[in-house]
Amino acid sequence: MTNPKEHSSSQPECFHCLESIPLGFIQTVEYNNHLQPVCCIGCQAVAESIISSGMTDYYKFRTTAAGKVQELIPEQLLMFKSYDDADIQEDFIHQSGELSEVLLSIEGISCAACAWLIEKQLLTLGHITRIDVNTSTHRAMILWDKSNLKLSTIIEALVRIGYKAYPFQPDIEEAQKQQVAKSYIRRLGVAGIMTMQVMMFAFALYFDMFSDMEDDFEQYFRWISFVLSSPVILYSALPFLTSAIRALKVKQLNMDLPVSLAIFGAYIASTWATVFNTGEVYFESICMFTFLLLLGKYLEFRARLKASEFTSNLQKLLPLTARIVEGFQEQIIAAKKLKLNDIILVKPGEIIPADGLVMEGKTTIDESMMTGEHEAVAKVVNDQVYAGTTNHDGVVKISINQLGTHTLINQIVTLQNKALASRPKLAEITDKVAQWFVATLLVVASITAIYWYGIDPEQAFWITISVLVATCPCALSLAIPTALTCSVANLTKKGVLIKKAHVLETLTKIDSIAFDKTGTLTEGCFTIKKSHYLNDNYDGQTILALASGLEFHSQHPIAKAFNFDTSSIGLFDDISVETGFGIKAIYKGQTIAIGKNGWFETLKLPVQVVLYINEKAIAAFELEDKIRDRADKLITYLKNKQFNTHLLTGDPSQAGIALAKKLSFDDVKIGCSPEQKQKHVANIIKQNHIIAMVGDGVNDSPVFNTAHLSIAMESGADISKNTADIVLLNSDLSSIEHLIEISHKTRRIIKQNLALSLIYNSAILPLAAMGMVQPWMAVIGMSASSIIVITNSLRLLKPF
Amino acid sequence: MSIIYVLIPIAIIFVIIAIAVFFWAVKSDQFSDLDKQAHSILFDDTEIKNKTNKKKSENNDDTSSL
Repeated sequence: MTNPKEHSSSQPECFHCLESIPLGFIQTVEYNNHLQPVCCIGCQAVAESIISSGMTDYYKFRTTAAGKVQELIPEQLLMFKSYDDADIQEDFIHQSGELSEVLLSIEGISCAACAWLIEKQLLTLGHITRIDVNTSTHRAMILWDKSNLKLSTIIEALVRIGYKAYPFQPDIEEAQKQQVAKSYIRRLGVAGIMTMQVMMFAFALYFDMFSDMEDDFEQYFRWISFVLSSPVILYSALPFLTSAIRALKVKQLNMDLPVSLAIFGAYIASTWATVFNTGEVYFESICMFTFLLLLGKYLEFRARLKASEFTSNLQKLLPLTARIVEGFQEQIIAAKKLKLNDIILVKPGEIIPADGLVMEGKTTIDESMMTGEHEAVAKVVNDQVYAGTTNHDGVVKISINQLGTHTLINQIVTLQNKALASRPKLAEITDKVAQWFVATLLVVASITAIYWYGIDPEQAFWITISVLVATCPCALSLAIPTALTCSVANLTKKGVLIKKAHVLETLTKIDSIAFDKTGTLTEGCFTIKKSHYLNDNYDGQTILALASGLEFHSQHPIAKAFNFDTSSIGLFDDISVETGFGIKAIYKGQTIAIGKNGWFETLKLPVQVVLYINEKAIAAFELEDKIRDRADKLITYLKNKQFNTHLLTGDPSQAGIALAKKLSFDDVKIGCSPEQKQKHVANIIKQNHIIAMVGDGVNDSPVFNTAHLSIAMESGADISKNTADIVLLNSDLSSIEHLIEISHKTRRIIKQNLALSLIYNSAILPLAAMGMVQPWMAVIGMSASSIIVITNSLRLLKPF
Repeated sequence: MSIIYVLIPIAIIFVIIAIAVFFWAVKSDQFSDLDKQAHSILFDDTEIKNKTNKKKSENNDDTSSL
């Protein structure tokens, strides 16, 4: 555990968020009778409200810094109010008797101290019966009295201590996963507790071999072991049996079949031995086996559950509310109540709730979540706008022409779901091994039974059972889950989330990789490529400071390229945005403006942005979307490994071809719609290639389900992260290299594990068939082979 | 030694109770977030009360000075 306060450098840090304090900002808060500096008014307000309500423990025990607090604008407060609307609430509030239950997804939870802070803060509101904050899913379940406390009040209370919250509805798939996780824990608990008891009696029975025990006691202990192990076998081990039967029904043999044969075969034989007081009992072995196997499977499942929880916490694509205009009145209603031809008003920064035509006003719209292109698109009267895109700078009235499933965004989602149903699947190595194993086992067991039946019918049954127990595929069935768990843990540490079980195995078979351009190979945001200074009276530093100071007030994606130090300049007056041109203001009596080339004076330079002072061009900037640092290295690596590389971009310009040439891609397709991307990938698959797709936008999500494997960037759209098999948390392309390396290493370890366990099983099989194996020998052999396999898997945890 | 004929069944009853408690804990989401529970011992519940008491006494002082 590291204390964030220890990271302090010579520069003063904000007491709340630990970020550096901008020069000239000298606000403080009082904590433990000392004045502590803060970096902004937002952090100050939050820190004061935390300290004044007596929750200073938060600062004492937190393990990570709090997020920087953003001040709320009145528009957002209005949004919170809309959560109190009954129409909107029915989507995410469940009524249980008098009380209501809601799940809030909370941004900014970073450690256990946050959970404590949130619980404390909300309980002071009263009328809350129960609150449960989960720090790994970043959600809070709240059970409260709706009639006395509004949901918006709860959300506002969270904002006051620096957390952004919004109501959340988990999808069906995730709810099912949670159920599976719970049932794993229950089965594991029963197996663990009961195995301990059974082992205790087993030891008593072991000692019986060295010193004679009274027959009554021996029989009594056997009965007790039977009673205690029955729940383990009939409850905890049941999923193995059902899975084996399910596979048999579709005429397949899977790994669960030999497992169930061993567990249930030995259980029935031991029960027989107990009831009729003959033979041997194996209760402790099968209980231990069940427990270990469940543990391995649960750990693997949990690693994937955590990854999928991370991405399912994402905001809905479309806003819940819309601002409808009727006559001259505007009114906020639930977005799902909108009808065709309704007129809605969309303000700057808002997300458009439905497809429609612009009726009035002009604006620029960020359609990046659809197209992946971050350059905003200008829209005037009669232009089509799409649900889910973000309005930038103008206020527009929109007449709705498509709703619900007919909107473009929902059509993309439908496309994606269709692709999922027909997704190619590769046979998994486990099942292949299992088929051989089961076949051999059954043949040997039946030969043993028949052979011994001829020689000694009395012994035949017991020797056959000992064959089943001795060949119990304990190490074999641990070989794969343990290796996968260790690799997934290693990858998670590197910021790579694995969401599907097949990923590591599929990765080793891949021979082609397709990339999206904007946001994947490039950073998806603009940086200054070249600056032209046109007036000697202003030096570069002042020009950049002025440009940054002005662009700070702009929502346009280009504005992000200008984030230079503005401490040398003063404040702007009369800031105004001119839609389609840029932004201007008065500074020290002069009109200063920044915007597109040709706003005032047209320059014959290939520049996108020009800075004007009193309508004279002072400086001009060439911008570009920078290629990610590691892109070059990654493509070279893939070339060396004989991968085919494809570039599929939605951008129709020549930039894609230029980029493909620069990075020497094998193949490039430009101007692709989501369907065309799917088609290209499907074609590649038809040529017997196994392909992975790397992308980030909404337009990539359908193709994600067409490719064998999909990788999304953390910086990408929520929906693509939700669909992808793998999410790169640091959006670092070199992770892909690491991913491929580790998948090959995992495969090597799995093969070693399988070989080791098969050696043990094939060595003991003939001995058991000859009736030469004592139960204790089988137990020692089984444990030793399992330990060897687990230790081998642990090697994957080592970073390399 | 025949006492074990009674003691072991009693022990089994305890085990059953333990499992019942465990099932209840799983059902009420106590295993969904293991990080938070581990840290919860660090936090005091009493501090708020102290503060409010202090505030009350401050308020009293204020009124007395008025």
